[in-house]
Amino acid sequence: MNIIIALAVGFSSGALYALIGVGLTLMSVLTRVINFSLVAVGVFGAYLSIRTSPLIAGASLDVQTVITVVVAVLVAALISGILGWIEATWLSEATTTARSAVTVASLLMLISLSFILFGSQPQPLRPLLIGPAFLIGDVAVTKVGVAMLVAALVVGILTWIVVNRTPLGIRLRAVSDRQTAAELLGVNVKGLQVGVWMVVGGVMGLCASIIGNTAAADATSMITLVIPGTAAALVGAFKNIPLTIVGGLVVGALQGALTAFPSTTQLRDWIPILVIVLFLLWNQRKEVWDVAR
Amino acid sequence: MSLASRSRATRRPWLPLAIALGAVVLGAIFGFGMPAYVVFVSTSVLVAMVSLMGLGIVTGTAGMIALCQLSFGSIGAWILEFLYLKTPLPNVFGPLSFLLFMVIAGVITAALGLVIGLPALRLRGVNLAVITLGVAAAVDTTVQQIGFPDQSFAHIPRPFGLSSDPTGDRGYFLFAVIITVTIALGIYALQKSRIGAAWKSVAFSERGTASAGTSVRTAKLSAFALSAFVGGIAGCLIVGQITQVNYLTFTPINSLGLYVLSIVVGSQLIDMALFGGILFVVIPEILKQFRVPLEWSSVAFGILGIQALTSNSNLGTSVRAALFRRRRLMEASRADAAGDHAAVESVAEAPIPAGTGRPLLVVEHLTVEFGAVKALTDVSLVVEEGTILGLIGPNGAGKSTFVDAIGGFLPQHTGTAVLDGEPLAGLPPHRRARAGLRRTFQQDRVPPSMSVGAYLRFVTGGRADPAAISDALTFFGCPDAYTPLSVVDVGTRRLVEVAANLASRPKLLLLDEPAAGLSHDEHLAFADRLRRAPEHFGTTILIIEHDLDLVRSVCSQITVLNFGEILASGDRASVLNDPKVVSAYMGETEML
Repeated sequence: MNIIIALAVGFSSGALYALIGVGLTLMSVLTRVINFSLVAVGVFGAYLSIRTSPLIAGASLDVQTVITVVVAVLVAALISGILGWIEATWLSEATTTARSAVTVASLLMLISLSFILFGSQPQPLRPLLIGPAFLIGDVAVTKVGVAMLVAALVVGILTWIVVNRTPLGIRLRAVSDRQTAAELLGVNVKGLQVGVWMVVGGVMGLCASIIGNTAAADATSMITLVIPGTAAALVGAFKNIPLTIVGGLVVGALQGALTAFPSTTQLRDWIPILVIVLFLLWNQRKEVWDVAR
Repeated sequence: MSLASRSRATRRPWLPLAIALGAVVLGAIFGFGMPAYVVFVSTSVLVAMVSLMGLGIVTGTAGMIALCQLSFGSIGAWILEFLYLKTPLPNVFGPLSFLLFMVIAGVITAALGLVIGLPALRLRGVNLAVITLGVAAAVDTTVQQIGFPDQSFAHIPRPFGLSSDPTGDRGYFLFAVIITVTIALGIYALQKSRIGAAWKSVAFSERGTASAGTSVRTAKLSAFALSAFVGGIAGCLIVGQITQVNYLTFTPINSLGLYVLSIVVGSQLIDMALFGGILFVVIPEILKQFRVPLEWSSVAFGILGIQALTSNSNLGTSVRAALFRRRRLMEASRADAAGDHAAVESVAEAPIPAGTGRPLLVVEHLTVEFGAVKALTDVSLVVEEGTILGLIGPNGAGKSTFVDAIGGFLPQHTGTAVLDGEPLAGLPPHRRARAGLRRTFQQDRVPPSMSVGAYLRFVTGGRADPAAISDALTFFGCPDAYTPLSVVDVGTRRLVEVAANLASRPKLLLLDEPAAGLSHDEHLAFADRLRRAPEHFGTTILIIEHDLDLVRSVCSQITVLNFGEILASGDRASVLNDPKVVSAYMGETEML
């Protein structure tokens, strides 16, 4: 297997990492939080949605699919919204570290609940898109992979338009930069924050429904996909969406490239760390202090 | 200082040792008196407690997020097993092997911890969280694939020939108690030491830490490495307890659970780490009795964690704060009315200090640019040894930028600064502090997690003995050394900051608006103390201040900055009467 094909192998996961990274970056920019629970809420939505299948068994297959996806998106948005509400209510002026620590606690809760509710066995979480989009040599680039990349780009572009070109974007930036000042100007800070959490959560629910069990067999392994996602987001320093997408694809490509060398499979799991480490070394070559003055 | 106001630690230095000895005796009675099952579970409590104590250094004391404590455990366990099964060393060291291997495993784990922590050097807590979460997952899958050296058939012998049956369990419990108590004593001593103070300081402010002459990098890395060391030891203790481990013993989710629990209880406090260990082990044990899925305990920890984070408190510090309030109330009711130490003695006003005539700090052509904005343009000034120089100017004139540049926080400036013949160029802030250049901050940079005395010991770097510390506190009318900084108001905290920096007897002290937040009377008292300070502490002072009354009453020399350039510089009277200064600084009509 040559390198180009190996890169194609890594494309699907890379695109997924890119989308997760974009979600993380979005939340970091708009709500000052590194959301470690980001993927978990999506996975929860998707896994809970397949519990509805006995209730809607009579409907046609298309209707069933639509209902399942809608439930997944709504559940994910709801869980994410609750987290956002907690952050906006009690930690509005807290540091990024404290706000992110809350998402670590909720990650712990969601992983444990996923053990309890879904077990550690693989579940029949059917992906929305099945099969290859096109072939590179003998390697199929999956529809899921293409969909993830498109989703990452769409989310990125939409975010740019909303943030830079609409009155809503001005408010969002105000809330993120100077929450108290925005509040004094009559901006509905809490509503906006919870809104961002719900929208990003919903996107993650949709994303989990689309990829189904193609990326990971069980709920917990799927939740840990947030790790390569953070690697992607770090490449964009949790600020820059285009760089984040590149970062995700690079992590995926490196992992794919390693599959060409079967003796190095153990390294595969260390790729995200490697990217994180190299990036941090580069990013912090200059001395940076905790506060501006 | 009265006897009652001395800290408990100085009154009873033997107390920690006595408690440790008591704990070992209690452990022996417990281990050989309780049912076998209870003893076995209690060993697990100790292991969890050791993990939590290690974590407490990073999360509690140094304020970072670390999510791979059990990965360190698994690395430590792996190394111990490797040394036992793949090397001839056990034949060489016999019954001592376990203890020795445990230390080796801890040291190697600490080295790996350094490698992980190094790239996140400027670790804002969140970067460390990202890295450690990644490490947790990667170590987990790697260990799943390569397995432990015991390969699920060999058993690792216990230390000192203890058997692997319930009798051996009892002996091993005592062994675990001794190890745990030793680690607890070590951590307690470190927390009381200068390095422990550095951890607390860095959790509150990196700039404040560097300005006290402590390297931020060293503080953070030492905390993380020590935490990894203790994590590795905990892993070895698990091996000794169950004699055979696999990847399930060290799952990443339990690392998350330990982190959250560490926040909930405040596991930098030894007793709270024990309490956390009990929660971590006993709650799942209870759930097991009722046949409820064990994961519910993690759900509970998650909820408790969110509660602790949203209320910004943990059990340990809340309990201690309540105890302190009670103690203070009792002491206050006992104290008689005569003990008002804050009163300023009514001696004659000290004169404005005259210098020795020798230039101490020579700054030439200092220019600082932030992009297109020139914050300072070609600033040159000389501070004479033994004087107080006032640096004044309107808001945005570049006064604080000047202090930042001289203090080493703006390395990209041009121009030179020479302190007492020694060029400062290229030195990071903590090295400048050690070279005798100290500064205070406009913002509150005094870590509330310390006591006044501990803060002074930290800032002075151990150079000031208790008498000197007490002298500096009395000199500025600060609260007693045992008072926690968390109960001191912000204005007084700045005084404590000034007192601490003077007590470290630097050559030059840069004060950035030290009197903000003081009342008018306190202002007057502060001015008088400041005038005495150069002689009392042997320190030259540069003071930035908006209050012209204060500047007029303490400074012999004044430099005025406006729009980043020197408007006037010279002796007090001529500068303050300079028409340029009057118009630029005070407005056209204001008379000085």
